Order: sequence, then C-alpha cells, then structure tokens
Amino acid sequence: MLGRIMYMEFRTGWKGLLIFGVFILVISAGIVQIFPFYRDSLTEQLEGANKVNLVLPNEQGGNITLSWEPLENATSYMILEDIRLSMVTAKLTYLGKDTSITFKKDFEEKRYYAVMAVIDEASDPVLIGIATTEKGEDPFKELLKNPAYSGFTGGRSISMLEVKGFIIFEFFGMWWIVAGLFIAHLSVSVIASDFENKRMDIMLSTPISRRRYLLEKFGVMNIIALLIILIAIIGLAGGLASINALNEFSADALFLSSISCLPFLMVIEAVGILTAVLFQKVRTGMGVTFTFVFANSFYTPLVAFPEALDG
Amino acid sequence: MDRVPVMETKNLTRMYGKHVGVKDLSLTVYKGEIMGFLGPNGAGKTTTIRTCLALIAKTAGEITIFGMDSHRDAVEIRKKTGYLPGDFGLIPSVKVRSYLRYLLSLRECDSSKKMVSLAERLELDLDRKTDELSKGNKLKVGIVQALMADQDLIIMDEPSGLDPLVQQEFCRILREEKKQGKTIFISSHNLAEVESVCDRVAIIRKGQLVVVEDIQVLREKTGKVLEVEFSDPINISELKLEGVSEIHQDNGRFILTIHENLDGVIRAASNHRILNMSLKTYSLEQLFLKYYAEKENKKEVVHDAW
Repeated sequence: MLGRIMYMEFRTGWKGLLIFGVFILVISAGIVQIFPFYRDSLTEQLEGANKVNLVLPNEQGGNITLSWEPLENATSYMILEDIRLSMVTAKLTYLGKDTSITFKKDFEEKRYYAVMAVIDEASDPVLIGIATTEKGEDPFKELLKNPAYSGFTGGRSISMLEVKGFIIFEFFGMWWIVAGLFIAHLSVSVIASDFENKRMDIMLSTPISRRRYLLEKFGVMNIIALLIILIAIIGLAGGLASINALNEFSADALFLSSISCLPFLMVIEAVGILTAVLFQKVRTGMGVTFTFVFANSFYTPLVAFPEALDG
Repeated sequence: MDRVPVMETKNLTRMYGKHVGVKDLSLTVYKGEIMGFLGPNGAGKTTTIRTCLALIAKTAGEITIFGMDSHRDAVEIRKKTGYLPGDFGLIPSVKVRSYLRYLLSLRECDSSKKMVSLAERLELDLDRKTDELSKGNKLKVGIVQALMADQDLIIMDEPSGLDPLVQQEFCRILREEKKQGKTIFISSHNLAEVESVCDRVAIIRKGQLVVVEDIQVLREKTGKVLEVEFSDPINISELKLEGVSEIHQDNGRFILTIHENLDGVIRAASNHRILNMSLKTYSLEQLFLKYYAEKENKKEVVHDAW
C-alpha cells in the first residue's frame, strides 16, 4: 500500500518532529518580539548623527569646524579619525573638555570622525555621533548601503527600521540554515540509520522496490519540510500580530517569502538521501550534507557579495 | 516424478575486491524440500543468500528463483519469498504487533491470524515494544515475519539462539510448512538444529560448495561409529576387518567407523573383555567436521569431537 513507509516514519519520528516544530514556532514568533526594542535603539543611534556637526572650508587648506552637543555627566570628549567608516584603523585626534574644535583640512580623501563622550574612567566612552567630510552624506545611511549589507540582501535596499527589514536580516538570514541543517540531518538518518541498524534487509525482502522506498522517504522529507515552513509562517504571523505589525504585510507576501525556501530544502533532501545511499553511514552522510548546507552559506557572501559590489 | 527447481544458482560468483565471497557456486533447491546450507563463519552462506535475494549484486553467474531472474524480477520474487536475515534490526519504539502488521501491509497481505498463531507457538509477546526485546525474542520476531505471509519459499539465515523448547516448536513449524508444499532453505552452523528438519544438506567452505547430499545418503556414506573400551590392551589389527574404514585408538578405547560387517566386528571384539561399548551414527556436526578433516587431512579433528 502506497504511503505505508511514510506513515511508519511519522509514527516513529513524531516526537523529534514535534520538538523541532515547537523550536521553530518559538524562534519565529519570538524573534519578532525583539524588533520594537531594536528599532528604538537604532533610532537613538541614528539621531546621534544629528548631534555632531561638521563644517567644511570653502577652499582647500582652510579649517574644518567639528562641534557636537554636550552630554550630561561627560567629563571629557574624544575624537577618533579614520578613512574607513568601520573605524578599525582610527587614531585619536582630540581628547579634551571642549564641545567644538577647529583644524586644518590638509588632505584630499574622505575622512570620518567619531565623537565620543568619556563619562568616567571606569566605563567605556559613549558614542555621540559620526560625521564625514563628504558633503551631504549621513554616515549611518551610508553604513546601511555598505556592500556587506547590500551583498547580504542581494543589493536590495532594506531598512532595519522597518519590521520587514528586521525579519529579512534576523529571521530569514538564519532560518534557512537552521531548517537546512535539520532537514539535512533527517534526510540522511531516515535512510542511513536503516542501513546502520540493519533494518534494510527485512525492508527489502518485502515486495518494495528500492525506487519506491527512496521515493516514499523523499516524500516524508517533503512533507516535513512543508510542515516546518508552515509552522514558521504561523509563528511569524503570530509574532507580528502580537506587536501590531501584521498589517504591514500581505498574507501572500508572508506565505510566498517563506514557502520559497522549499525548493532549497528539497535540494538538501536530495543530497542527504544520495549521500545516505552512497555511504550508508549516518555520520559520513551527515558530514557531507552539512558541508553542502554550509557551502551554501558561503555562496551568499562569495557570489552575491561581489555581484552587489559590481552593481 | 520430476522435482521442480525453486531456487537455482549456476556458477554464482561474488567477489569483494580481491576477496572471494562465493565462487562458482551451483546449487538447486527443489520445491517442497528443506535444504540445510552449512558452513563455518565466513564460508559464504550469507553472501549466497543475500545475492540470491538481490540484496547485493553478483559478480558473475546466474540465479533463478521461481524461474525468474533474481535481480531483474526481484520485486516479483519477493512477493513469494519470506526471509530471515542472519543479523537484523527492528523499527524502534513500536509494538511487535504493529511492526509485523506494517510488514504485512508492505506485502499487501492480510494473514494476521497466522502471525498471531506463530507468535503464540513461539511464545512471543506481540504487545511488547520492539526496543524492549531480548536477543531471543528479536529472533522470534524475525522468524514470525519470515513465515507469516505464507510465502512459497522461505530463506532463513542462521536462525539459532532459541531456547530448546521453542527450538523444538520451531522445527515442528518448519515441518508443517514443508507439508504444505513450502520450500525452505536454511543456513546454519548450529548443525544439530538443522539435522532434525533437513532433507538435504549443502556444505560450503571458503566460498565453494563442498558437497550436496541427502542426509540419509550422507550418513550411509560415512557409516556408523562403534566405540569400544577394553580392560586389557589388544592388537589393533584384530579390529581391521572388512567394512571398517577407520580405527582410532586412545589407550584402551577404540573408535571404529563401520559401513558393513557390524556383527563380524562385534564378534572380534567379544574375544576380549569389554568395559564399554556404544554404537552411534554420525551427527551432522561430526559429518561436517569429517568433511573438513578429510579435505585437510586432519582426521583427529573428527575423533576428538566424540
């Protein structure tokens, strides 16, 4: 009878599936709960950019004036200068109590200035804001245009101040790896464990062809993949509703953006089943399939990232 | 009446790289017989069976079961074949009853009455979980699943490990199956188990068939064993009479293999004072050892077994 192998897989593996389903539900519904706090924190940081004012000279060799709003409790201020927004090679150019400094512009390249307030010696300095020598540019908006971000999003303009952008980064960024690893684990073990635990001989002594056996196992994996995607959609919808953000999405968009993961999971299933049949060992099969999933995570920065840079 | 072949191999060869699994094995199992397939560990019994059931590929040769090619028509053949693997696992966390019903459903067969009957006869509790079973009970599950679907051919790979009472019941079941016209092919190295049920025996060694013979003919060929213990030393030549093929002396104890002229031997022995005397037939165990010893010229192996 068609579907008997699938039925038995669900019957024996429902506990593991239930645990993972609950995990996905908690993750998808829970991660949305972070958004309001994240948005408020980011807004505060962005507003910080307005607290720093940089006035450029009209002619080369003139003076630059950098001023900032004083911070309550600040004992002194420090300014870091760098040619990179990341500030990884920054050097200290000022340390004092003034809230405005003037210095000569004797360079051509674009430079960034991070203004920080020192509260006391025991705690780290607090960032007041960042300014750039490029006219009319907001360093924080520039940060969001950074290739590291645009590469990650495939060159799309995504705002982390919107719940949509937040979900794309924080949920879909890791969801497919988590779901991919789970599916990889299952697709290898449903077959390789039959070999390892010596169940295959009895199974194949029944009038079940190898093709049907593999197709039913593949069918099981597809149903499981679909189930966890649906659980994720339900979790996301529930999470969004709880922060009153559900009206920012259409049901179609939410469903399609989640279900689009299915072909990817199906490829992982196929790789998992193939390696299980080839190696007949859970560990080896899982090693190969996990490598495949992680290789995909490298694909994004290695291929999409340069493409975004070219764009 | 011509015997109908059910399972037939012709020059079956299976290599594992350079290592020989089975080589040029030609064997026919006929309808309605129970054939024992004997050999020590690593002789190629399991390889032969798994190749016949298309669970592993053959390197060369032909295998036909019910007149069909064992690999090309594997699914059709399995509809009529029950198989007990030598080493197998069960699906965990389900009741034995559910597991067996699952296998029946894969066979699209509704013979749960036979399943229950076999389980009762083998004292198998169908309501226990598969992962709670002892080794012996697991074997019982394997036996039930191989027999429950009323298959025409039953292949069993070393079904040993049952306690003596259940073993007797198992042998009775096999004889009943045979009476119903089933063909049974059973491999073992526990020869005593096979001896009481088999019609014919095939002995395999290092992947090659040593002998295929009716059990009765095999016994007649190898004769009977007379063991005599004398109180005083006697000259061994007194016992070297017509019909005596072998004499083995161990102090005052003599072990003679006799094919005919038993009365002449007893008369010769009665010329001396006898402490003990017994007449035995070779058990399959000793036949098996005898074949090996003859091949390797180690006759003491057989006598040491008495």
